[in-house]
Amino acid sequence: MREREVSPLPREARPYQRRRAGLVTRMVAAGIDGLVVGLVLLGCYGALVVLLLLIDPRNFSFPDFGLLFSIASAFVVLVVYQTLGWWLVGRTYGGVVMGLRVVDHRGRRPRLPGAFVRALLSAAFPIGILWVVVSRQNRSVADALLRTSVVYDWQPEDRPHHAPR
Amino acid sequence: MRCCDHRSSRRRCGRRPPLAALTRSGEARREALAAEVEARLDAVVPVVVDEVLRRTDLTDLVLRHVDLDRVVSTVDVDAVVERVDLPAVVQRVDVDQVVERVDLDAVAARLDLDAVAARLDVDAVAARLDVDAVLDRVDLTAVVLHRVDLHAIVQAVLARLDLVALAAEVIDGVDLPEIIRESTGSMASDTVRGVRMQGIAADEALSRAVDRLLLRRGDRTTQAPEHQREPKRADSSR
Repeated sequence: MREREVSPLPREARPYQRRRAGLVTRMVAAGIDGLVVGLVLLGCYGALVVLLLLIDPRNFSFPDFGLLFSIASAFVVLVVYQTLGWWLVGRTYGGVVMGLRVVDHRGRRPRLPGAFVRALLSAAFPIGILWVVVSRQNRSVADALLRTSVVYDWQPEDRPHHAPR
Repeated sequence: MRCCDHRSSRRRCGRRPPLAALTRSGEARREALAAEVEARLDAVVPVVVDEVLRRTDLTDLVLRHVDLDRVVSTVDVDAVVERVDLPAVVQRVDVDQVVERVDLDAVAARLDLDAVAARLDVDAVAARLDVDAVLDRVDLTAVVLHRVDLHAIVQAVLARLDLVALAAEVIDGVDLPEIIRESTGSMASDTVRGVRMQGIAADEALSRAVDRLLLRRGDRTTQAPEHQREPKRADSSR
């Protein structure tokens, strides 16, 4: 018996599922991810402040880590966040909001090394995302190098894909 | 004596009184003897005939010595039949009793029904049938309800039906997901949906604009590779 799945997706969104996303959507998702990373850094900084306040309230002063350390911290947090997101569920929070998913050349979730390298490339060379608008396959530089894709996928879970009806 | 037994002879001979008495006596004697012979024959002949018939196979005798065809040919059968009151004969026949005596099973067993059926023009018989009239007289609903195994039929029909596909088509036709979304949807999901669709529209517009700028022809190939099933991965435990 032929297996058919009832799509919970809106009818107008179905034709776009599993197609590579364009620049605007990916930029919005990246912006949301940037906000998440900023919030994480802010949370860590706040937690450190509270900790220092508790340890030595008299000599307490807001710590200043300098620009380089801050950038390095943001870089690390961003790489770890994106690696875990793409490896574990195929998407970061920005991807969840915008309905995007990262898949490898077989259409599956990236493996841990692939997710890590992609996160590293994306964080080190963020301008590479602009290649999406030039590429005929809507691929960024990291996608082109690692043969990955960022696709529209509004399904909440990474389930076997069926052609949109 | 003999010539005087007759009247003509008597005239010729001429009667004389002594002879007259003798003639009368002879006549009486002759009549008595004739009666006696007749009585004895009546007694003897039936016995003799019985004995002869008993010792003789008369049927065989007739069959051997009588030309029956010739005899029958002289019989006017039509006249015989005309004289027979057939209705009366038939009325006197107890048909029920006759039928009771007939062993119909034996008769049927001797019938070559295959040969009879082979000679039967079934098409002609069927053409003469008024099927509508037959159906009008048959309570088909009752026949189906009592004689047909509806459960088996329903099971067979269900086995042939792709119920999942049918249900999916129905749901697709009424767009059940849209109804569910409308009945349970929240502002947040509507907003997210709107943002996503606007993002997709912006992506398409930007891609078209760039393609036009780069003088490209044809659509972009944006279909990503598909996977049918998520396999258990070795590195998932790492």
